[in-house]
Amino acid sequence: MNENSNFGLSISESGRPEREINLLKAENASEGARAHLDLFPMGRIDMTAVSVIAANVQAILGLNTEVHPPQPEPDYAFQVRREQYEAGKIIRSLEEIEGGAYFKLAVVGVDIYTPILTFVFGESQLGGKAAVISLLRSQSKNRGKSYDRAVKIAVHEIGHLLGLTHCRTVDCLMAFSNNLEKMDELPSRFCQACEYEVGRRLRSLFSEKD
Amino acid sequence: MKSATHILVVDDEETICEALMAWFIKDGYRVETALSGPQALGLLEKKNFDICLVDVKMPGMDGIELLSRIKEKQPEAAVIMMTAHGSIQTAVEAMKRGAGDYLCKPFDPDTLSLLMERVMIHKGLEKENLALKERLQEQQEEGPDVLIVQSEAMRKVFSLVEEVASSSTPILITGETGVGKDLVARAIHSKSPRAFGPFVAVNCGALTESLLESELFGHERGAFTGAVKTRRGRLEMADNGTLFLDEIGEISPKMQVGLLRVLEEKRFLRVGGSSPLSSDFRLITATHRDLLPLLKEHQFREDFYYRINVISIPIPPLRERPEDIPVLADHFLKRFVEETGRHLEGFSRKALEHLMSYSWPGNVRELKNVIERAVVIARGRIIGAEELRFLDPGKPPSSFGSLTLEDLERTHIQAVLASCDGKVSAAAKKLGIDRSTLARKMKRYRLES
Repeated sequence: MNENSNFGLSISESGRPEREINLLKAENASEGARAHLDLFPMGRIDMTAVSVIAANVQAILGLNTEVHPPQPEPDYAFQVRREQYEAGKIIRSLEEIEGGAYFKLAVVGVDIYTPILTFVFGESQLGGKAAVISLLRSQSKNRGKSYDRAVKIAVHEIGHLLGLTHCRTVDCLMAFSNNLEKMDELPSRFCQACEYEVGRRLRSLFSEKD
Repeated sequence: MKSATHILVVDDEETICEALMAWFIKDGYRVETALSGPQALGLLEKKNFDICLVDVKMPGMDGIELLSRIKEKQPEAAVIMMTAHGSIQTAVEAMKRGAGDYLCKPFDPDTLSLLMERVMIHKGLEKENLALKERLQEQQEEGPDVLIVQSEAMRKVFSLVEEVASSSTPILITGETGVGKDLVARAIHSKSPRAFGPFVAVNCGALTESLLESELFGHERGAFTGAVKTRRGRLEMADNGTLFLDEIGEISPKMQVGLLRVLEEKRFLRVGGSSPLSSDFRLITATHRDLLPLLKEHQFREDFYYRINVISIPIPPLRERPEDIPVLADHFLKRFVEETGRHLEGFSRKALEHLMSYSWPGNVRELKNVIERAVVIARGRIIGAEELRFLDPGKPPSSFGSLTLEDLERTHIQAVLASCDGKVSAAAKKLGIDRSTLARKMKRYRLES
């Protein structure tokens, strides 16, 4: 196990979760069942990180996750003046994809931003269906830590897709972390209230549909 | 309390408005956006905002002009200016006109969240500061006289205060005029978890129905003649604190229905307003009247009575707890000696007997006034029976002919008002009653100041 990981669901260098909690009932997250989340790697990125994210989203939230083949870099979202990629445009492109899973998550290796912020680790619409996260600024020399951060960003953004706002409990994955230091302090689990809310929303979305 | 914080974002770029709105919503704030100064002013007419983020450069009315207009309309709102073309000159101009801070777009995620935290803390401190100043002023004016007790009856009152302070259950304080119902209410507030929130007191007996409605619920601009600007009501001001409604027995059944709805739904509208507001306050009410006969006469609604009377704290009159008289008299003596600089050491035995045998219809307030007067007229180092002769407990006027008690009261009030040149406060002091009690009696007897 990676000693630097403060992740509730500890991640090994191989990227496999060592403890599994599952907010959606196990039968819904079974192998071969319909995917709840499509994961789109975009551009040149570490595919192990993508697998770690997929495994942990499945383990923490119980969402069946399908990893799609790598897509090209999202050039359509590139903003010349800022030399960054606009997160909103990537989200809109995901929303335009017909069919597939209910939720869609893009994982990019480039720097993303929103019109008001210099950069974002991830972006999503509250209660929406698509989100994007960037691995660029969360990278560490320690691979375990990089994966840890990537999972935290992904699950946090999926939390927003499920309609959760930032949590004021410091010990919760839905707390707002504006820098890596704060992000590293966060556990990779929800507080009791958020966990209840995530479970409730997942059940209302998927229990009857599956 | 983020969810209660209302933010207005004003920027001519829709993407900026949308991005900020998304950011604030995720952080749990209530947000509205406007794409121009006039649009923002329209929203400011209808709603109150805690924080306004305003873009400096906008076509038509620019951000600096809008800042001045916001400060006119809603001076309590914190305004943060935003610009994509930061210049020190504009920043200085904005700060001079009352902007709370200045941000250059795009912002660092750290900067925005830290700024919001700072603004929220500042706003919280402002509110707290205001509440503390008000409390300090009130304490200097009144002093914690009610806390000076010796009697078993008052000890019981204070042990009940200790017990009930921590909850948010409505309390009804009853007792004669002058026993210190308001001070007991303040004691409950200061011992409660809401102690750092505001203590908002309203004397229902001193206001007409329409004035009371506007005072409690606030009003929107133009709601009635004279409503030149939007005003927050006492219900709103009491958010996170205690609302103390004195003389609750004087409010009309219509107002009782309005208040009952607030207590049930925790939401209300300003007079002339259409957006529901919410406020988290603890309600304490007080009355010198016996409300039960009013219930029977249908002057007081039963449902409202049971809603406000969850816990009842009756305060006994001073004549029923004579052991409190010497300690209170001593406390007032020390206070007035300090204020006047006179050298007085205490009371003679006869003076104390005199104080103990008097019936104190005006209760603690009357005792305070009597001691103040005695301190002023005392000649020696001790207050003797001489200085208290005006109390004359054993020598009531022999006869007032065929006058009813009401006639007698009206005549006496009239005479005292005349002797005070119509000054209500001075007359109230002379009569040993509260100013609002006198105002109520003047209204009843149709007397003018």
